[in-house]
Amino acid sequence: MSQKTRESSITSDRIKVIPRYGSSLKDKLYLPAIYEGVKVTFKHLFTNLNDSNAIDTLEYPEEQPTDITSRYRGLHRLTHRADDSIACVACFMCATACPSNCIFIEATQREDGHDEKMPKSFFIDTLECIFCGYCVEACPCDAIRMDTGIFSLTGNKREDFVLNKEQLLANKGAFGEEVSCARN
Amino acid sequence: MREMIDIIVDSKTYKAQNGSLLIDLLIREKIKVPYFCYHESLGADGNCRMCMVEIEGQKRPQIACDTLIKPNMQVRSNSENICKVRTDILELELINHPVDCPTCDQAGECSLQDFYMDYGLHNTKITIQEKVKHAKHVDLGSNVMLDQERCVLCARCTRFTDKITHTHELGIIGRGDEAKVSTMPGRKLDNPYAMNVVDLCPVGALTSKDFRFHQRVWFLQTSNSVCHGCAKGCNIYIDHNKMKYQDDVIYRFRPRRNDAVNGFFICDEGRLSYKDLQENRQESILLYEEETQENKALQELKNLIENYKEKITLIVDANLFTDEIEALVAFAKSISATLYSPLEIYKDENFKDDMLKSANRAANYKTIENLNINTTLPTKNALVINFNHPLDFEADVQINFTTHKRGKNRLTFPIAAFSENAGHLTNEDSIMQECQKAVFKNNPAPTIVEWLQKVRS
Repeated sequence: MSQKTRESSITSDRIKVIPRYGSSLKDKLYLPAIYEGVKVTFKHLFTNLNDSNAIDTLEYPEEQPTDITSRYRGLHRLTHRADDSIACVACFMCATACPSNCIFIEATQREDGHDEKMPKSFFIDTLECIFCGYCVEACPCDAIRMDTGIFSLTGNKREDFVLNKEQLLANKGAFGEEVSCARN
Repeated sequence: MREMIDIIVDSKTYKAQNGSLLIDLLIREKIKVPYFCYHESLGADGNCRMCMVEIEGQKRPQIACDTLIKPNMQVRSNSENICKVRTDILELELINHPVDCPTCDQAGECSLQDFYMDYGLHNTKITIQEKVKHAKHVDLGSNVMLDQERCVLCARCTRFTDKITHTHELGIIGRGDEAKVSTMPGRKLDNPYAMNVVDLCPVGALTSKDFRFHQRVWFLQTSNSVCHGCAKGCNIYIDHNKMKYQDDVIYRFRPRRNDAVNGFFICDEGRLSYKDLQENRQESILLYEEETQENKALQELKNLIENYKEKITLIVDANLFTDEIEALVAFAKSISATLYSPLEIYKDENFKDDMLKSANRAANYKTIENLNINTTLPTKNALVINFNHPLDFEADVQINFTTHKRGKNRLTFPIAAFSENAGHLTNEDSIMQECQKAVFKNNPAPTIVEWLQKVRS
């Protein structure tokens, strides 16, 4: 079917027809496009040769990034209540929302008079985690956050990357707001 | 039988019995109608006021659960006015509701949640900050936990203890916003069907202590099955889940409606029988109490069958599926063994009651009788091959095909329990019922039919 008949055969107004580019002689030659690209590369090369301080790279790890904002999705943490107990009520919303199913919770009865329920164990497998932040969005208790600013987690074996409840509670927020806003 | 008449609901005509309840028609025809207090087993109470419909000729909206169908009735179930009425009533229910869905076990199967999504989504007009406080997590007894704050006072639980079990443990005390469900002073909820109130409760006020906090309901997968606790054959749902990196586990049994067998309910003993099903399971093949390879054990079995020709006794458990029993009858014929299924052991007169419990605690004993299998105790045993029968027998050599761990024997083969297998059962009233395969284990034990195929090959 030619391009024209295909377009005319589409009747539904919900379908958007995208015009195809690249059929002109200039596009088919490729050389003008390659020239444009090489021009940009060389422009940067000469600018950087002139002034090496202006290069947009970090001497990591000696030099640490300074542009991590509060919206940056770093390593997870579990928040506390005002009395330092865990804010999480083990509702499984994060585990339900998680697209990579890397949150493993076991719930138990809570005895300290706050809510009825708390996590007995809470594991996040950060090797499976894709850091999408859905768990933070889903949490009705502001109990899980990704505001630690930690962007690098290292370990010697796979098990080191499975964070348990105590490790997650020990992570501190990098931007204040230590206590859960929803449960305190 | 009363005459059938035409009735118009939302400008469609339906056939209904003259004088039957309007809500029954709406439920049967799957016309959306919200309700808390009505239940087909408990009848109309008319206290929740959620099932309002408009009836032509009536000035005000009427509750469908207490309206009898009359000739030439015209009903509107989803007009704008009715939806507004339902929203307003729902708002009343939610004034003092704690909205603690994150910690509530009912979340996911809660009528209040469902109706809020269907009719609510409103901005509340209530400006009072303090909600009325009641007792939370009260242990009522019989594995039932009560949260008085979540209660919508539909009185299904109290009507259950009044009308179904006639034990009258529960009542609603207090008036206005002080009204709450409670047991009578000094009494506990104590009857063999008590946990049915958990299923009856449309909200999270009554939850099962046994299931509580173990799993969120939206993770569970449901399969249709039949309880193996006694010969009644109550229909159940098996709720199970295979968590990531773990094995398939049953979390609860729930009653499944079957008006011919069990109605809406099951007994607590049957409901909790899922625990025994999973504990202490035989998982490996044992030869003289040592784990062994499958082909080695099968060779030993074949040798024994060869050596003890004409002197073999097969014992069949009366809880096996009909399909399995028939396969065993054929197998016994092929090796010329005698087949027994002693039924006396299953008799338990103390278990019997006049509701659902049967004194015959073998789910498929009817099939044993139908197939004319010898139900007496075998005498003079040389080689006994026991297919999951609870009794142990005096014999020169005993071989066990068993679901659960048991005493020392020459050979032990693990077999799949009924939840890990599909088949049919015939209950004591000769009703044949089907069980679906629910649980898919990581390392499934073969079924009896699979073992017999292996022995023959």
